[in-house]
Amino acid sequence: MDITLFTPKETQYLFNNNGHIDMQSTSHASTTSRSSDSGEPSGAAANGKWASRLLRECARAICEKDSSKIHHLLWMLNELSSPYGDCDQKLASYFLQALFCKATESGQRCHKTLTSVAEKSHSFDSARKLILKFQEVSPWTTFGHVASNGAILEALDGESKLHIIDISNTLCTQWPTLLEALATRNDETPRLKLTVIVSVSMERSVMKEIGQRMEKFARLMGVPFEFRVISGLSRLSELTKEELGVQEDEAVAVNCIGSLHRVEVDERRGVIRMLQSLRPKVVTVVEEEADFLSSRNDFVTCFEECLRFYTLYFEMLEDSFVPTSNEKLMLERECARSIVRVLAYDDHNDQSGVTGGGDCERRERGCQWSERFKEGFLPTRFSDDVIDDVKALLKRYRAGWNLVLPQGDENNIGIYLTWKEEPVVWVSAWKP
Amino acid sequence: MPVDLDTSSAMTVSTASGGGEASVSSSGDQTTEQPPPPPPPKQSSAKKKRNLPGTPDPDAEVIALSPKTLMTTNRFVCEICNKGFQRDQNLQLHRRGHNLPWKLRQRSNKEVKKRVYVCPEPSCVHHDPSRALGDLTGIKKHFCRKHGEKKWKCDKCSKKYAVQSDWKAHSKICGTREYKCDCGTIFSRRDSFITHRAFCDALAEESARVQTQPNKEEDPKVQTAVAASSPPPPPAVTAKPSSAAVVSSVLPTQSPELPENPTTQILEEAPATTAGLNGSCSSSSGSSNNGSSSSTSIFASLFASSTASASLQSQTPAFTDLVRAMSHSDHPTKLASSTSIEPISLCLSTTNGPSLFGAAGPEHRQYAPPPQPAMSATALLQKAAQMGAAATNASLLRGFGIVSSSSSAAQQESSQWSRLQIEPENSSVAAGLGLGLPTDASSGWKELMLGNSSMFGPKQTTLDLLGLGISPGGNPSGGLSALITSIGGGLDVTAAAASFGSVDFASKDLGRSS
Repeated sequence: MDITLFTPKETQYLFNNNGHIDMQSTSHASTTSRSSDSGEPSGAAANGKWASRLLRECARAICEKDSSKIHHLLWMLNELSSPYGDCDQKLASYFLQALFCKATESGQRCHKTLTSVAEKSHSFDSARKLILKFQEVSPWTTFGHVASNGAILEALDGESKLHIIDISNTLCTQWPTLLEALATRNDETPRLKLTVIVSVSMERSVMKEIGQRMEKFARLMGVPFEFRVISGLSRLSELTKEELGVQEDEAVAVNCIGSLHRVEVDERRGVIRMLQSLRPKVVTVVEEEADFLSSRNDFVTCFEECLRFYTLYFEMLEDSFVPTSNEKLMLERECARSIVRVLAYDDHNDQSGVTGGGDCERRERGCQWSERFKEGFLPTRFSDDVIDDVKALLKRYRAGWNLVLPQGDENNIGIYLTWKEEPVVWVSAWKP
Repeated sequence: MPVDLDTSSAMTVSTASGGGEASVSSSGDQTTEQPPPPPPPKQSSAKKKRNLPGTPDPDAEVIALSPKTLMTTNRFVCEICNKGFQRDQNLQLHRRGHNLPWKLRQRSNKEVKKRVYVCPEPSCVHHDPSRALGDLTGIKKHFCRKHGEKKWKCDKCSKKYAVQSDWKAHSKICGTREYKCDCGTIFSRRDSFITHRAFCDALAEESARVQTQPNKEEDPKVQTAVAASSPPPPPAVTAKPSSAAVVSSVLPTQSPELPENPTTQILEEAPATTAGLNGSCSSSSGSSNNGSSSSTSIFASLFASSTASASLQSQTPAFTDLVRAMSHSDHPTKLASSTSIEPISLCLSTTNGPSLFGAAGPEHRQYAPPPQPAMSATALLQKAAQMGAAATNASLLRGFGIVSSSSSAAQQESSQWSRLQIEPENSSVAAGLGLGLPTDASSGWKELMLGNSSMFGPKQTTLDLLGLGISPGGNPSGGLSALITSIGGGLDVTAAAASFGSVDFASKDLGRSS
């Protein structure tokens, strides 16, 4: 399918009383016109807060190449922003960085610096702390884990040799509960092979550490277990059954959490084909609900969407963590990298293959991913049991989180996690 | 001996995997309906050991009921009020209330044949008459739980049950239980506890805190306590081999010797780099009850404390790995046994990260009366966590006791600990430990202690230490090489040697500086 099919679409969510989403595809044109008028567009990100107002103005100035305005706004933002301040100040700080990079065309260098700084301070301990803490305070990640695990367990029910191919950024934090569920399954405990595909940036030692833990935990649970790591891949789409060690008698499940948007846009189709070739029983996909793709050639629109999404995210972090949380700061810094990547680091310049892939940030919305997956897969509904599990999960977090089932003819695929009525995470399960 | 140990760990595995939470919540007829664990082949030997459900009297009459009969709850219905009863006897008693003719069956004679029931599900192990279950309620619940639909669902956590009484029992406690990890974190949700558990090892990895197994002491007098206390570094330590050939060494400056009592306290110096929950004092105790665990604990303590020393320097990854391997992996079991059954206890401890305590969970069940065959995996974790917590306190106290130069306090503490932990069943193991301890082990300890801060340096230390750990199992060992060999398998020998070297170096340095 051609990418252009997605571009004219924008999905709007209308909530009706019973908590379902109506999805309608509306014209995309409004966004562009909207951004050029009063500077007070509608949308979640624009509650008249100073940061988004100034940032938007600045983005437009950059687009219009109005250098004196750019200077003025950048200066102002610089005065007002702080990565340690409130939500507005943080947004101002991180988006200012991206805008500055865009204005000075230094995005690539900046992104590299940020990445290498992050990698230097990246250890198993810090990563584990970060992920577990995040899971404790927010369902942002656990929502996808529970739904995916539920779908995987159901799809592989009764099989005796399971092979889960995990293409995700979760450091295996998803799997202990699955192992426990397998251990307490009614019939005989199956064998589980877990093949984890990690992006290049991941330290080898970290995965080794994790692998040992998973093996020990599986032994504790009495689940026959095999753990493999595949790292250093340049192109995910070139993976083969053989490399993955897929055996004929294995029931395969593929778990993609937050990993597909990291695949270069041009390669995404190939990755889905590759997944298809594995003939999995189920493919679970979890992605954050944002569209940085269809507007990639329209800086202001893309900026709007980026600002919308990260405003939500930052507010969510603010709401979930204690103000002084170190983990929150780390998550925000991760965002800083993504923002620079999306806004100031044009992936067209990156065809040299310098990065080796794995750091693309062109997110797509659930409906866009659905279009892609429909080429090779059929969507499956989450069973009531899984839905109940997810609902039970959400109950333990603060108010504001909800599970929403999309309604509509074509786009009723997957489930959404909403935060304050805004869909933020999308989970879906697919079968060949 | 090794076989014993193995079966115990294997059994733990099987229980962990086989027992659903359902079984935890029901108390009555667990033994009967707890299905056999999904049996990986290696567990076959384990099965014989435990009094598994479904090993009936061969003379009993085998009854095969249809699924329908089994699922029918009230087969005997009163024609007056339509009330149903599970047993005819109950219906008869009920009929009495309606003034209807009733008849209770008399127990005809003593020779009534014992009845056992098989499961109608052909793939089920209890389908085989040799594994039939001994009572009707048992087979009903078994069939329902294992082959029936789970139609009872907890509102709070969405866990499902096939048997209503299980569900009721669960509903009562759902949300009220707290899961506590060794690291102090408390979880109200099972799944976050599980996830945390798999990844938590805050204590071992981050603070080099010493944690050892609080296995039940078989005999309060035979125990080896290894306590690591923070500053100040204790001066030379004397060792006094006791009559029971248990390692005996006392910290002279702080605690007088306890000649009457073979209980030993070994204080190791650990630099103040430990940042355990205990604050400045990080201590631990290991009490041995069998070859495997004693060696484990001693190893763990030694290495953990040496980690502490080494952390003044920079730890080499290899060393860290070694420590981990030593204290957490399969190796210690291999010390105790040459068979290949996986040591669940060690897995547990690894899972729990720092706390070898975790390992106590399964073993505890193994030795403790009455066995609790029906613990769920989660409960298992929970158990381990609780024990970890308890033991931490105990060892903390002991540590303080010693530091405050009151040996009796320390002793008291230990015996109190022993009391907590002792299970009568363990005595045989204890004996094994006590008798098996070779004298050179003690002298090794002496050397070790006299060697003061370079205690980690001499390889004989390791050797003797190992001897101590192994000999109860009847597997006396040689030198470091023997250690490595007996550890076998996955450990990279050169890496190990290198790490030993580095430890050696580190601790010597330390010795000089202190």
